[in-house]
Amino acid sequence: MSTTLAPYTLPSGFVLPSIHSGPPFFTQQPSPSSRKIATDNWTRLILSYARHQKLFVLRTEDADIPGGEWDDVLSNPRINRKIRAPHLAAVIAHMVATDQAVYDPPNQTSAVLLYWRTPEEWAQVLYDWASSTGHLNTIMTFYEIVEPPVPSPLSDLPLPILRKAIAVLAKSSRAQVIAVADGEGVRFLTAPPGR
Amino acid sequence: MPLKRYSTSVDGTIPVPALLYEDEVILTSQEGVGIYDGPQKSALHQAGTIHATTHRLFYIDNAHPFSCSFSFDLIHVARTEHYAGLFTSSAKVTLYLNPRPPKSEATGIAEPNTPSPPTASTGSTSNEVACLACTFLNSPLLRECEICGTPLPRKPSMPLPQAPHPPAKSAPASRSVTPAPEDEDSDDENDSVEKRMIRLSFRKGGDKPFYTVLRRSLLGRAWETKAVARPAPSSSKGIGISGILRSVETTAQVSQTNMEDALEDLEALMIKWKDMVKLAQDLNERLTAVSAPAPVPAITFPSVSSPPSSSPSPSPFPAPAARLGTTAPEMAMAMAASRQVVEPEEATFIRSSLAQLGLQMANAPVTQDMVRDERNWFEELAKELAGVLEGSGVGPGAGNGRGKGGEGMMRRRGIVALDEVWGGWNRARGVALIPPSTFLQVLPHLPSFTLPPIRMRTFPASGLSVLHTPPFGRAAFASRLVGLLTLVGPRTTIEVAQEEDLPIGLTQEMLDEVETDGEICRDDGGSGVDMFSESLGGTEGGAGGEVRYWVNIFRGYVWDGQE
Repeated sequence: MSTTLAPYTLPSGFVLPSIHSGPPFFTQQPSPSSRKIATDNWTRLILSYARHQKLFVLRTEDADIPGGEWDDVLSNPRINRKIRAPHLAAVIAHMVATDQAVYDPPNQTSAVLLYWRTPEEWAQVLYDWASSTGHLNTIMTFYEIVEPPVPSPLSDLPLPILRKAIAVLAKSSRAQVIAVADGEGVRFLTAPPGR
Repeated sequence: MPLKRYSTSVDGTIPVPALLYEDEVILTSQEGVGIYDGPQKSALHQAGTIHATTHRLFYIDNAHPFSCSFSFDLIHVARTEHYAGLFTSSAKVTLYLNPRPPKSEATGIAEPNTPSPPTASTGSTSNEVACLACTFLNSPLLRECEICGTPLPRKPSMPLPQAPHPPAKSAPASRSVTPAPEDEDSDDENDSVEKRMIRLSFRKGGDKPFYTVLRRSLLGRAWETKAVARPAPSSSKGIGISGILRSVETTAQVSQTNMEDALEDLEALMIKWKDMVKLAQDLNERLTAVSAPAPVPAITFPSVSSPPSSSPSPSPFPAPAARLGTTAPEMAMAMAASRQVVEPEEATFIRSSLAQLGLQMANAPVTQDMVRDERNWFEELAKELAGVLEGSGVGPGAGNGRGKGGEGMMRRRGIVALDEVWGGWNRARGVALIPPSTFLQVLPHLPSFTLPPIRMRTFPASGLSVLHTPPFGRAAFASRLVGLLTLVGPRTTIEVAQEEDLPIGLTQEMLDEVETDGEICRDDGGSGVDMFSESLGGTEGGAGGEVRYWVNIFRGYVWDGQE
């Protein structure tokens, strides 16, 4: 077995890192230094894949679901390895601890929303989208934002992330949360002077 | 009456085993037995215990064991009969007797020198010897014919106890000496068969087993072999198997006796040890008391006082002072204490003697002197241990010829567990064993006496300590292992163990340490297929298969995947 590892490109065009074809990557390393590197790389791999595939939710069960949407990164059939649920849970815990994900719903540790963009980044994306599509100063429901008739970067954005992004905008006076008849709405404001 | 004639009175207060002949054995006993003398009950013998031996029957009377007990030779029994009993009649064994009791020296029933002419008239037994000249049937006990004086042919099977007896005198003369049997004999002439019998009546049962044993005893005819067996012990000494057996027996007896003597000595010592210790302590206290008020500046010690510093002795039995192991520090204490004694030489002698006996002297003061001596002592021990480990011929192992031609414990192996070293060293020493505490104190001195230096190493995970040569040091092993893994790819613990020729457990310890250092990483393996391993978590090895060790692929890894 060769120990030289090479990156692998998935049919979807996603490039898996070379470390993904190393069997030890799928084992939780007892040595702290090795484990830290492995966890960091898992985090990076998961986030970049999520960004590539526009995935927002990761569950520990995903490690055990063959053929699931995470299968390409959580397992490597070419070396007959897959990450185990406890190992994945440890990676997820690390991601939550470093603000790269948040448990959703709260008070459990098996499912997370992935912040492959931070709420601040999302806020900027949201504001840019609103201004580019001429929705400033109009009231929009959350539904209109996450399921626009024309696909946008915000399509399918989970509401908790959307809410956080809007909260960021509201803080800088670029948006205003408004209660509407069937739920919540938001009005994007033109940027205040100096911004 | 037959009973009177055939039996011998015995003292029934003596236990039966004490009444037996040398080669006689009790076969069975039965209580609740009454005796019929001929057809009638014998009034004196109606309740007693009957014992059957290989040679005799013993009747021990319950009421009057002294006066009414008797023994009866089985040789007289011609045939036996068993009656099972009916209604109120108890089971009986009938012993039909030979018409005339053959004279036996053992029983002494009849006078040996009594010729018994009347037996001739009965004429019914085969024991009688026909005269060659006149055909008169003579008693087998006679040598010459009673009628014509012709010497009689001897029956070879008949023992003639009265052989040294001079040829029979005239019959009347003999008879006059012992008139009593004559009466009996005259009776005997009229005896019908049923008169010559004795019945044992089993009032409390037990007749059947008794009868079986009795029959066997009668068939065994132990009294016949007796005559042959008796002279054997003196004549057959040292000949044949029995001779060998006897000599073995004698040897065993001698060693048994020696052993018992030795054990007695030991027991005496065990009883006395406390007194000895007390005496020693007392002596030591007195010495200290004498020396205390007279402090004297340091005195240079005679060479005896630094026992371990003497060079390793080539003699098979090293000098006790140098080899006294555990007691040497105490000896050093004794030396230290004796510095201040008024007569230092005597005190030193006493105390070193005490120390050699291994007697504790806890109240001896600890001085700088002792520390110096102890350091010497440890260094000397380290030197000896180095010999044991490297097989260079130093140390008692080589001296005693137990070192097997200089083959040290670590000659073949680069790494040995501490307990094994300790055991091996003490085995090589044989005497004055080293306690573990001393052993551990010696180890730091070891590298300076070994080439290549042998050091101790403790694995943090398990606390296992080993002695190792440089190639098995932490860094050296790690780099060798990384080289191996780079060259041949991932390896399991077992494969590494084979490669390094080490025990698997030890290899695991060393791999764990290298892993902690971040030189290697692991692959549990089989995760893609094994569903059972999920619950075990990833930290423990072997969860999904055998752990394979890889060169650390994480170290210095730079992201080369999707941005």
